[in-house]
Amino acid sequence: MVRPHDTRFRRLPIQPTISALNAINAGDKAMQQLPVCLNMSDRLVVVTGGGQTAARRAETALRAGARVRVVAEHVGDAFDDITDDPRIEIRNSALERADLDGVFVVFAASGNTADDAAVVRLAREANVMVNVADHSALGDFSIPSIIDRSPLLIAVSSSGTSPLFGRLITQRLEATIPAAFGNLTRFLGSIRDGLTQRIPDSRRRRRFLETIVDGTVADLVLSGNEERARTLLAKEADSFVSGGDTPEGEVYLVGGGPGDPDLLTFRALRLMQRADVVVYDRLIGSPILELVRPDAERIYVGKKRNQHALPQDEISRLLVRLARDGKRVLRLKGGDPFIFGRGGEEIELLASEGIPFQIVPGITAASGCSSFAGIPLTHRDHAQACIFVTGHTKTGRLSSDWATVLQPNQTVVVYMGLAVLGDLMRDFIANGADPSLPVAIIENGTRPNQKVATGTLSDIASITEAAGITGPALIIIGTVVTLREKLAWFNQPAPKDAAATAALSSETGGLAAASAPDVPVEGAAVR
Amino acid sequence: MKMPGRVYLVGAGPGDPELLTLKAANLLAVADVIVFDRLVSPEILAFANPQARRIPVGKEPRRHPVPQSEINRILVREARAGHLVVRLKGGDPFVFGRGSEEALALRAAGLRCDVVPGITAAQGCAAATGVPLTHRGLATSVRFITGHCRADEPLDFDWDGLADPATTLVIYMGAANIAEIATRLQGHGRDPDTPVMAINNGTRPDERRLVSRLADIAITAADASFAGPVVFIVGDVVALYGDSHMSPALQSALATANDVSREAAPYA
Repeated sequence: MVRPHDTRFRRLPIQPTISALNAINAGDKAMQQLPVCLNMSDRLVVVTGGGQTAARRAETALRAGARVRVVAEHVGDAFDDITDDPRIEIRNSALERADLDGVFVVFAASGNTADDAAVVRLAREANVMVNVADHSALGDFSIPSIIDRSPLLIAVSSSGTSPLFGRLITQRLEATIPAAFGNLTRFLGSIRDGLTQRIPDSRRRRRFLETIVDGTVADLVLSGNEERARTLLAKEADSFVSGGDTPEGEVYLVGGGPGDPDLLTFRALRLMQRADVVVYDRLIGSPILELVRPDAERIYVGKKRNQHALPQDEISRLLVRLARDGKRVLRLKGGDPFIFGRGGEEIELLASEGIPFQIVPGITAASGCSSFAGIPLTHRDHAQACIFVTGHTKTGRLSSDWATVLQPNQTVVVYMGLAVLGDLMRDFIANGADPSLPVAIIENGTRPNQKVATGTLSDIASITEAAGITGPALIIIGTVVTLREKLAWFNQPAPKDAAATAALSSETGGLAAASAPDVPVEGAAVR
Repeated sequence: MKMPGRVYLVGAGPGDPELLTLKAANLLAVADVIVFDRLVSPEILAFANPQARRIPVGKEPRRHPVPQSEINRILVREARAGHLVVRLKGGDPFVFGRGSEEALALRAAGLRCDVVPGITAAQGCAAATGVPLTHRGLATSVRFITGHCRADEPLDFDWDGLADPATTLVIYMGAANIAEIATRLQGHGRDPDTPVMAINNGTRPDERRLVSRLADIAITAADASFAGPVVFIVGDVVALYGDSHMSPALQSALATANDVSREAAPYA
């Protein structure tokens, strides 16, 4: 699948495909295992087996500082490199209960399932935790793939589900985490106590550390210049401490895109991981919300059962209040904050109150649905313009008048129009639109459960109803819709088969479709 | 037999590398071949698999552009050779930019083409300048048009509909025709005082902006002698930026916001 390649370090995180990970989790939301890091120093561990796998286990345990007792009737060449280590003891026999006295953990690695099972039984009798190589479900725990930048350790686990996938992710991360990160971790450890005294408030301390990690001090450490780093650190700590009691708050108005977490921008993700508090509404799907820093406070301002959403002016006041408390406030909105997101209203108050803010655009629903449904918004033979309107305003059914909407060579995208779809389509026709004008309805666009219905102004309402589409959905009107027959790709069978398109295609995709990048790369590895 | 490859039609966003989607970056990191436009910045190409072959097909000033049919042929050829091809386009692949024609050519050749949306220039410029594209009381809708037309053909719009004051009008590739567009809009009833913002190289470190009125925009934009892509935003929302209608607090806050976002961009 993914081939590792050298790549120079970048500040921006290269993420594993988030939707792929979420899709794996989707079946069973609960964590299947709890990762922990064991203190192994001078503790006795037992490794059973004399082959390659056992030797690797023994080696890892030694690296972590353990004493290792290898129990195997025959110990092979694979152990040659480590048999000289004074901390290793070899017992040429089958495992017995007495071998487990005073033992911290057991690694069963004989490669023979029956032998390993016998080891597990003995370990259970002795109340010692046991790991079975390649069959972690037989034992008590699994061993993750490790990126070792000691003292920094990054462990990647698939909970024993697909160790191969875990190793692939590890390879990818290996290339992006510089070797010098170990030094940086050690350096930050060495200043930890001093900094806790200097800046007792944990939130302010974290903020200071973030500037350090992103700034010149870290660059100096990474380039091996610790002395200068310490001098500069002291100076920066001084100016930070004298810089006032409360940190300055800030608001990030961030577009969360249409639902697929992979469609977040790097800046959105970075600010999501930096915020102290997140203010969100119902348009944000949980896979995206899960990427917000886990200890950030969450404030829901959307509609609840039997309750109205928080009014817009109260949301604006809430943002001001939170920022005044010195918090970094993430205002996370579905789509793009400046396209029907009322982002302009929220920044008006922030601006007049002098609160610093920044705006991060997001993939708007029109773009997301257009790409994922295979319906271009423009095409030289179909449309040289596209207009985005909304479907539910208090005065009428559309947010623009008909002369504006009904233009030749213009794609019309209606946000929030599904509830009035029937009336809306009748109005289009009554105002002169061709009843055979193609229309597409995209429900849950970009998400694995995306559904697309296509028809015309005259029949789309009944097709949509028959398909059980209830929203959230986007409406695309125009002859570009006909291109879907050729361009549909998401949750579709291989090309050519797709040519037999029915008026309605139900798109309930599995992992393969949702994590599209994985599929072709597999193909590439075959050649 | 070789496995046929696959092409990803990927939006690179408006220019700022931090506005790339995670999916776009992941695809760049595993691509065998990257076919890209001039509008795609080097910082974005830095995400690419270093072993990937890079094929520029951009239209550079004073250089003969690679014709669209030739781009289509390159994509089909590379995919047939079994490669994972990323076709990287500025902005969003399905908003102008002829991405749909490339997708159609690939499908006609029996090849799969996945599409990854990007932040389109209008959105990037809006966020960078703090000017919303829709806003209560100012704009209930937003429209994107291209000011670029086929050679020797006139601009083909229903100008009456285009002059709607409640719809923000965003003009892509309009630098060459802004004078005609502005005149026609006024001729069909759009207020000559309608504020217009021109954003050159939006979201990039060398971004430039100017705010004018519909009556003057053609001249002010010409005076600015912009190099690189220009987006025009026409509508009352532009009054939220600029001197005329903006309170001093809003003005300074907008400036602060923009400074902050500049600092935050690691490449800026």
